[in-house]
Amino acid sequence: MSPAVRTGISAGLLAVVVVLLFGNLSGVVLGLLAGAGAAILLDSRVEWPNRNAAIVGGATAGAVAGLLILVGQFIHDLFLMPLAGQPVATAPGSTLQAGLIAVVLAALAGAAVGAIVTQAERPRQLGLLGLLVAFVILFPFLDQQIQLGWTPTVISVLIYVVLALGLNIVVGYAGLLDLGYAAFFAIGAYTTGLLLSPQIGINWDHPLSFWLVIWIAAAVAGLFGLILGAPTLPLRGDYLAIVTLGFGEIVPIVFRNLTRVEIKEPFTGTCLIGCDKAINLTGGEAGINPISHPWLPLVGQFRTGQDLPWYFLIVAIIALTIFLISRLRNSRLGRAWTAMREDELAASSMGIDIVRTKLLAFAMGATFSGFGGAFFASYISAIFPGVFDFSVSVIILCMVILGGLGNITGVILGGLIIMMSDRLFLPQLATLVKNILNTSVLPTIADPAMKDFVATSVDPSQFRLLLFGLTLVIMMLVRPEGLIPNVRRRAEFHEAEAGAEATVATEAKAPAK
Amino acid sequence: MATTSPTVRTGSALPRWARNLALTLLILYIVLLVGPIAGLDAPRIWQSIAAEPKTLVQVALVGLANGSIIAIIALGYTLVYGIIELINFAHADVFMLTAFMSLTVLGAIGVDQKSSSGQIFVGVLVALVVAVLFGALLNASIERLAYRRLRNAPRLAPLISAIGVSFILQNLGLFWGGLRIIFPVMGVNAAAPKTFPQLLPEGILFQDGPIIFRQKDLIIILASVAFMIALRLFVQYTRLGKAMRATAQNRDAAKIMGINVDTVIAFTFLLGGGLAGVAGLLVGLYNGTIVFNMGLTAGLRAFTAAVLGGIGNITGAMLGGFLIGLLAAFSDVYFSSRWTNAWVFAILVVILIFRPLGLLGEAGGEKA
Repeated sequence: MSPAVRTGISAGLLAVVVVLLFGNLSGVVLGLLAGAGAAILLDSRVEWPNRNAAIVGGATAGAVAGLLILVGQFIHDLFLMPLAGQPVATAPGSTLQAGLIAVVLAALAGAAVGAIVTQAERPRQLGLLGLLVAFVILFPFLDQQIQLGWTPTVISVLIYVVLALGLNIVVGYAGLLDLGYAAFFAIGAYTTGLLLSPQIGINWDHPLSFWLVIWIAAAVAGLFGLILGAPTLPLRGDYLAIVTLGFGEIVPIVFRNLTRVEIKEPFTGTCLIGCDKAINLTGGEAGINPISHPWLPLVGQFRTGQDLPWYFLIVAIIALTIFLISRLRNSRLGRAWTAMREDELAASSMGIDIVRTKLLAFAMGATFSGFGGAFFASYISAIFPGVFDFSVSVIILCMVILGGLGNITGVILGGLIIMMSDRLFLPQLATLVKNILNTSVLPTIADPAMKDFVATSVDPSQFRLLLFGLTLVIMMLVRPEGLIPNVRRRAEFHEAEAGAEATVATEAKAPAK
Repeated sequence: MATTSPTVRTGSALPRWARNLALTLLILYIVLLVGPIAGLDAPRIWQSIAAEPKTLVQVALVGLANGSIIAIIALGYTLVYGIIELINFAHADVFMLTAFMSLTVLGAIGVDQKSSSGQIFVGVLVALVVAVLFGALLNASIERLAYRRLRNAPRLAPLISAIGVSFILQNLGLFWGGLRIIFPVMGVNAAAPKTFPQLLPEGILFQDGPIIFRQKDLIIILASVAFMIALRLFVQYTRLGKAMRATAQNRDAAKIMGINVDTVIAFTFLLGGGLAGVAGLLVGLYNGTIVFNMGLTAGLRAFTAAVLGGIGNITGAMLGGFLIGLLAAFSDVYFSSRWTNAWVFAILVVILIFRPLGLLGEAGGEKA
């Protein structure tokens, strides 16, 4: 089997899982992704003799992936749907049509990537970036066209990608384990909530106020990063993790309970804040709403249900975040983070102020989660303390670790994989399983207790925590550097093994001499 | 090297002690200023204590009973941390699962409030043995599967793995709670709190106004103290206990002295898991309800207790457990029960910042 077919199969299999879940025209989006993905994977395994070979190889890999999608589409329409009690009304012809479109698109995407990867270094990078940008821009229109309805989910997924990028600064670059990262997300969101809603009577109703508030939210989150970080950062790694965890638990409690705020001077009893009536700062469990939406000239007011402006806004935020973080990373500060992560003692003896460097990492990470929080608050138009609990911090950590500590591409990929699984695939799988159970399995079970047991226990959405937990454990045991590792990080994680190998090698050599 | 050393800071004419004093006073003032929002309203608390001082005694008794359970969980953290310097994040969820195991066993045996005291005694004893064995084996297998391979990895790797295990166990608890077809005691809803049979005698030993001291309070306190003393003696005087202390002090030296470090570490996890089993049963019996996500809060409280007492220090964990129990009870009554967790975690943060060695911790090597 040629390598082109093999990579086509592996990319296609991944895509088929999604197609089996969603059916319809999801093959179109997946075809594009799988075709391009297969070609990129292929390029990393094969040396191309010339450009034509690369184009043919890419197209072959894409077509193979597309054919698998075609098969998946047939299985979904002709087998799964009737099993789930929703026989597809349309003729098999339309299934074939959708499948063929997927094959053609996958082959084209593969060929395009094949043509680009054989260019020289610079045009190659620009070309791949261009393809990516084109896909990102076209995605919502495509989604609208084929009525997949993924855009709202993708928007909320992308919020978490921003958070993961921010946490990557703290965990990936500076090597500090932050288990309370959701706290900064909450602080950003609540800052936005307070400024853009009638909650405490500030409500800036100016059309452009969101564009100011998003910076304020980021700054406030960053400031809290400094306030929390200043006393805690001298602590050693795992103590720091626990302090941040404690902080992450305190913040939602505080937001939940700041419903009657009044402050009196303790000795004289003079009232300072909330004298006439105690201020309801955060709305308690019910949270704050409504939070106003952004406004832009030409676009007008952003509205709930109109996804395009939101989508492009969050994409813009991600682009800005990536730009800033990649600049930061190669700056003097970024290099200081790396040095400090690898050996604190050595770094400090080279003149790096450890506490200051850690503090900046903490504050920068918090700042980006402030951006995410501001967008989140305005997008949902309401915030509740329950959204920011410990599991959120761990999910974000999962993304960073799955994708690859310290690698921007890896973190984005990890974020997409985890959140898409959590928000899109798992719920869809749960619906599918439930439908199949209801129509095809449950009627065959006679015992009512057993029936009830199967109906409640076979529910994939019940196993979210298990999946996150397994991700963390398996990644740590098998591939601690993540799916797409940062080269340096990888070396650090395998230092012990490399050391052992080196010892073995010298020992093996010694008697031979 | 152009930059100045971070320790050399000039510009303050005040002596060190004066600066510290000023800082302390400032922090105290801020606490007094903002504290009332979170229930720390000193005049009001003083008034209510003065009006009914006996309530304070009752609060202390409740605090001691809850604190003794926290202390047992804290011992699990402290043992493991003492020996491999890992915050065993999954410990609290092992505790949660042992509570489920106890409930399952009690349900299977079929004892409830109406059974005779002999039956109840046997039932609880069986549940205790099963829960302890289950907790011990579970904890040791976690060590074998998820931590051992990471012993020489960067420090954060086993911690992250432990967090993952904690989530897995939580999900297992959720699943277990939904198995009502096999265990009818689990009730209708998988995620809802499970009712634990009230098997401890509720007889009143002592009553004076609001002070009520029941037999079950006494039993809980006595049982935990007995387990703690047994553990202390074990670690102090037995061969295995000495091996544990040696491994904690210096793993390599212990290895050279012929101690099988892997066995000792595995045994430590067995011991910690067994203690979690004791705590799981006691919590169920004392509080009457258990729920699949009770591990996180209980674990954080227990970890706070371990840190407060000085992590790695067995006596410290007991002391810390009682103190945290007292603080939580005091806060529930006099501050505001909604803020109790915030106060407990605030203590954790403050202790870690100002005295990471804890109350009884000794400055030893790289421990803090």
